[in-house]
Formats: sequence, structure tokens, C-alpha cells
Amino acid sequence: MRITLDTERCQGHGRCYTLAPDIFDADDYGHAVLLLEEVPAGREHDARSAVENCPEQALAIED
Amino acid sequence: MEAANEGYAPTATTVTQLASADDPREISRMLREQPVHRIGDMFTLVTRRSDVEDALRKAQVFSWGAVGMNLGNVRPLIPLQIDPPMHVKYRRILDPLFAPKKMALLEDEIVALVKELVDAFIDKGTVDFHEAFAVPLPCRVFLRLMGLPLEDLDFFLSLKDDIIRPPGITLEEQNPHREAAGAKVYEYFEKELAKRKAHPTDDLLAQIIAGEVDGEKLTDEEVMDICYLFIIAGLDTVTDSLDCFFAYLAQNPEHRRQVVGDESIIPSAVEELLRWETPVPAVPRCATEDVEVSGCPIKAGEQVMILISSANTDDTAHPGVDEVDLTRNPNPHLAFGGGVHRCLGSHLARVELRVALREFHRRIPEYWLPEGTVLEYTPGLRSLHHLPLAWPVAR
Repeated sequence: MRITLDTERCQGHGRCYTLAPDIFDADDYGHAVLLLEEVPAGREHDARSAVENCPEQALAIED
Repeated sequence: MEAANEGYAPTATTVTQLASADDPREISRMLREQPVHRIGDMFTLVTRRSDVEDALRKAQVFSWGAVGMNLGNVRPLIPLQIDPPMHVKYRRILDPLFAPKKMALLEDEIVALVKELVDAFIDKGTVDFHEAFAVPLPCRVFLRLMGLPLEDLDFFLSLKDDIIRPPGITLEEQNPHREAAGAKVYEYFEKELAKRKAHPTDDLLAQIIAGEVDGEKLTDEEVMDICYLFIIAGLDTVTDSLDCFFAYLAQNPEHRRQVVGDESIIPSAVEELLRWETPVPAVPRCATEDVEVSGCPIKAGEQVMILISSANTDDTAHPGVDEVDLTRNPNPHLAFGGGVHRCLGSHLARVELRVALREFHRRIPEYWLPEGTVLEYTPGLRSLHHLPLAWPVAR
């Protein structure tokens, strides 16, 4: 499972790095940073949850 | 296409009722039968999630700057009433000051403050939660952050109330109050900035004063225009949220016990209650070009009301959102708005709301509305003038 982040769409709501802090981080502005593009085994649930909770639809999953 | 408005014909007051109604979700449900409603020649309501999201995202087409809203200010409030591309320059200064990692550092202090507030009333077994908790908590956090004296709190609160909820019903009655309060805000910060120049400090206001856009410092006017917005935005919305949350939990013991029984659900409970209550139910915009919303033409210069609360309970977009589920996942609500104007203080608000839910319920897990209590939600922003709560006291 791979995750993509559309930095143009991200507005720093911060849902992703709260839900999956090992996969996403915040930059100095509070906008999302992708720590891992490839989701580690066993972390798919939280990764998917982060993606689905983004109010801007800035995240997507490529299975 | 003209919206048919069959069966349900909202008026200008409908927007305020999304805050003041006992159950705004019911109004939202009726509003969503049409994607848009034209309210005479005043404004157009945008009701559905996909259109709301779209309008929030297109900040240049649906402009804040062009909205003719009198908040007592003589210049645009920064950054809210500034459109892109200038908007981003201000957010580059302000976003880092309100970034989640910075806000997380405030947690211990907020915990101490919550404990202090609860200590003051816990033995009484009853309190006006609005007055003794929902107002002082965010306001004291805000003043501390800004490095402003606590004794000025009542002054700020009266100015904020005169701007957001001025006496009177018509704009003709209300606007003089707004403008008088606005003049006092400018006067206060003019003096404050002069003081800061003579005696530099180390707080949020100092960081804003030191902020640079393209290597240039903000002017005194720009700093004041930011402070003005902070007074309006920083002193009201967390109070509103706390009122809404605790009123809900007082009336829904099964959900309150869920929070008490498992603190790990508090982060998602905060998101769900923000969605359900949507304390800022509608945000205004003005079209800068001819545009369509769900096939309905909106002409350049027309005012639009984006109904966040209606989007947040749109069950065609997300099934099951017509009831409260404190563990809801996913919950991509828009309570903090969306697009470039996403609430600057959202990360601060979340820390305050999470800490308040956790610490209050550790001390007072069981409470209710005293018999005969009638809650009256305020129009515009969803809040309460009074929220009496009662709980058992060991004697």
C-alpha cells in the first residue's frame, strides 16, 4: 500500500499526523509531511484512516 | 436554474437558526433537499457537502475579502478578509505560531488552568458552566499567549460581544455598537504596540511584531488588523464549542459515560462533537466571477453563505452522519472550515477541548441540567448565555 500527498490541497488540518504519527508528520506550518510512502505491514488500518479523515481529500491510497 | 424551494422556503433568519435552534440538524436536512437556496437578492445558501467543499477550496472565486460584512473594522481583518495570493504571506507568519507541535507545549498549562477553574466550583455542586468555565478557559489561555494582562479580560469580552452579538436586531441598530467597539480595539492595540516597542516582550504578539513577509516587517496597522481578528476569533469560538459540548453531554448521559469510561476516545469525541454541533455553522463569501453551484448560476458580486453545519450532516456524502458516534471513523468534518482559510486556531482549540473534556470529567463525571432548565442557543455562532450544571456533592 502506497500513500500520496497532494501538498497543494493540504491545508494543515492535522488529522493525518494525529491519527498515524509514524506515517505522517507536520512541518513548521502544520502542513502534512509524508514520512513513509510505503505503508509498513500492519499499519494499513491507521494509514487508511488518516487518508479518509482528511477534510481536503489531499491524501490518496494506491494499493 | 432557479431553485424551486418546494416545500421548504428558508429566509435570512434560517442561517442564524443553524446556530440557535435546539436541533439545527433538522433545519440542515430540509435545506439539503435543494443544493442551493436564493434568499431574495441578499445571498445564496450552499447546502451540500460536495458544493461546500468546492466553494471553500476556491478561495479566489468565493472571496472573503469581497464580503461586505461589518465587524466594526475599518481595514480588512488579517488573514481572514485577505484573499490569495496575499493571504498566504500572512499565513506563512501565523501558521508556525499556531502549529500543532507549538500548541501541544501548552497542554500542561491548560491542565493547570482547568483544575483551577474546577476547584473554584466543585464543592458547590452547581455552576453556570458558561460563565465559570467556557468563557474564562479560552480567554485566559489567549491572554497568556498574547502576553496581555488578565485584568483587561472583561474589557476584551465586552468589545468582542459588541462586535459579534451587539444589542439590536437590524444592522442600523447593531452597526454603531460594532464600530464603537472597533474603535476601542484599535486604540487599545495602538497603545499596546507603543508599549512593546519601548519594552520588548517574548510572547505571541512579540512574534507577530517580529514577523516578516518577503524580508519586510509587518506594519503597525497590519499587526493591529491581526490582533483585531484574534479578539473576535480567539475569544468566542472555543467558548461556543465548550458550551455546545457540555450541554450535549449533560443531556446524553450514555455518551458522557463513554467519555468518562474511556479517555482514549476523547480525541475522536472532540471531532464528532465539533461535527455535530458545528459552532460556526455558516461562513460568508462573495463571488468574484460568474460561477455555477450544482448548475445554479451565481453572478459576480453575489453574496454566498456556505453552510458548514449542513455539509457536516450530509448523509448522502457520508452515511450515518445523522447521529452521534463518539468513535466515528472516518470523520472528515469541516467544522474548522476548509481551503486556505482553515481556522488558524484549530490546533489550539483542539488542545483546549481535549484537556477540558478529560480533566473536567475526571473531577466531575456525573452531572445534569437542573430541573426546569431551558437552554437558549445564540444565533450566528452556536453558544449559550447560560449553561447551569449540577452534580452530586459529598457532604
